[in-house]
Amino acid sequence: MAPPRAVTATKPKKKADGKTQALKVAKAVKSGSIKRKSKKIRTSVTFHRPKTLKKAREPKYPRVSAPGRNKLDQYQILKYPLTTESAMKKIEDNNTLVFIVDLKADKKMIKAAVKKMYEIQAKKVNTLIRPDGKKKAYVKLTPDYDALDVANKIGII
Amino acid sequence: MARIKVHELRGKNKAELQGQLKDLKAELSLLRVAKVTGGAPNKLSKIKVVRTSIARVLTVISQKQKSALREAYKKKKLLPLDLRPKKTRAIRRRLTKHQLSLKTEREKKHEKYFPLRKYAVKV
Repeated sequence: MAPPRAVTATKPKKKADGKTQALKVAKAVKSGSIKRKSKKIRTSVTFHRPKTLKKAREPKYPRVSAPGRNKLDQYQILKYPLTTESAMKKIEDNNTLVFIVDLKADKKMIKAAVKKMYEIQAKKVNTLIRPDGKKKAYVKLTPDYDALDVANKIGII
Repeated sequence: MARIKVHELRGKNKAELQGQLKDLKAELSLLRVAKVTGGAPNKLSKIKVVRTSIARVLTVISQKQKSALREAYKKKKLLPLDLRPKKTRAIRRRLTKHQLSLKTEREKKHEKYFPLRKYAVKV
């Protein structure tokens, strides 16, 4: 434990001659060049953990050699469109397409995937999970796209 | 479409392989639509072919990537963990061959001055 009153260290000499060192220190004390460390005043009763330096990471090697590919791309999200009677009704009446999508896909992903795959703009996406465990997505298109045309283009009709 | 041959795939570069992958995936999505709308049997049987071709392309892509990474790290001292030998957890924690072979100075001297002698008995 360092003594509370720190005295600035003398320069390291090859031969630490005790007498000369003592004389040097006495001289310094007399001249007043040694500064006494002031005692820290505490203004609070609680002791808080002092904030120390937090260094950012600089790894010497990456833990994973290459980041993995995105496995949920638009081809994986949209599995297939539904062609049931009620789905057909939705196409004609409500300008929506009905897809079975991947369970891990959310509405934002579905919207982006539909845009990428079929070049159409979705107004909104409603999803539900069917009892057999698959996710169904109702994709309502904006009025400037016709669901019937798109369905013809995809191949469901 | 002709059957995809892997040795042809290995000749292609990354961009071409990615392009081929996209085409195959688009074809697969069309086939899946055909399956739902009651497509012809020749289309339905093609699904398996396309799926395995996609698998082949992905395998070649990842093999190429891995080998390129190993080349890049050849000179370096520290490797990423997936490029290091996998073996088993216990084997990885064993002493290395070099570490096992280390001997103290004392031991080396002992071996030098007192080697194992071989004797023969005269008949």
